[in-house]
Amino acid sequence: MKEMLQYGLTLMIICAMATGLLAGVNSFTKSEIIARAQAEQDASLKEVMPEATNFAAVETNGEVIYYKAYKNDALLGAAFKTTAKGYSSEIETMVGMTKDGQIAAIKVLSQNETPGLGSRVAEPSFTGQFANKSLEGLNEISAITGATISSTAVMNSVKTKAEEIFNLIKNGK
Amino acid sequence: MKKLFHEFLKGIIKENPTFVLALGLCPTLAVSISLMNGLGMGVAATFVLICSNIIIAMIKNTIPEKIRIPCYIVVIATFVTITELIMKAYSPALNRALGIYVPLIVVNCIVLGRAEAYASKNSVMNSLFDGIGMGVGFTLALLLISGIREFLGAGKLFGYTLIKGFEPAFVLAMPPGALLVIGLLLGFFNILKERK
Repeated sequence: MKEMLQYGLTLMIICAMATGLLAGVNSFTKSEIIARAQAEQDASLKEVMPEATNFAAVETNGEVIYYKAYKNDALLGAAFKTTAKGYSSEIETMVGMTKDGQIAAIKVLSQNETPGLGSRVAEPSFTGQFANKSLEGLNEISAITGATISSTAVMNSVKTKAEEIFNLIKNGK
Repeated sequence: MKKLFHEFLKGIIKENPTFVLALGLCPTLAVSISLMNGLGMGVAATFVLICSNIIIAMIKNTIPEKIRIPCYIVVIATFVTITELIMKAYSPALNRALGIYVPLIVVNCIVLGRAEAYASKNSVMNSLFDGIGMGVGFTLALLLISGIREFLGAGKLFGYTLIKGFEPAFVLAMPPGALLVIGLLLGFFNILKERK
């Protein structure tokens, strides 16, 4: 009985000290982590809609559906995130689209595909093909050799989400 | 002083955690795709190793024998979490590249192995140098493996293309490549050991 108490207390003291230390580090790094994520988000929005000067999030039930891109109060188009299951990971892509349904640019935000093959979906030689394509024109994009699954995953996810957002904008939502 | 230097040096060659002790192979296999990942993993693990070795050497007399492992795990997990938070705040790209393998340093057997086999029996100063030595040894091993894999598997070093027109062998960038490279290096180090 005495032993059990001693063990329990020792563990409790060690855990309490660890918790205190972690709470300190967390409060120190928390604002930095949030700021980084925000800055990254802003940078990727800017990258897919380079002409836009400001973005407004369109939310439903507190969830961001897409961002409206404005250039000095005139609506340019939209920017949105889309994810797709690739060959070995979820591929997250940021897409910029003009208001008449043309893709402005896309940027792969995160992926963990096979290095050297599927990972090339993040390279400009692939993502560059999306620029200035209409929604129907997206079928003309050529997949990367040896990475058909990763390429089609990105193509399909961009197309599906772009059509969905385009309809939302057309209906004035 | 000579003794401390010896503690430091043994982790690099004579008791290299990867090639001689063959510990912590799981993260080694997974992250050694590029030199940058290898370096990041090595530095993160070294930091955890040094901190946990120091703390465990300090508290080794106050913790009862029977609950030493949970105590070690709490200490290690704390430093791993600190590493992850700092990495997220100041190097989010590296954190994303290493992914799940940062939190998994907790169960990296090098860290727990050194806590159990060394820090719990030796002085704080010796444990500090043991931690540095093992960490540097682990980092060097990772750099060697990831250097070979990045060069032959992707034709690059630290993300820079060295030889134009060199057609890389993709298999080395994939999991079988990691097993091949580590296996061959382990064999090579065994030959070196037997020669002596």
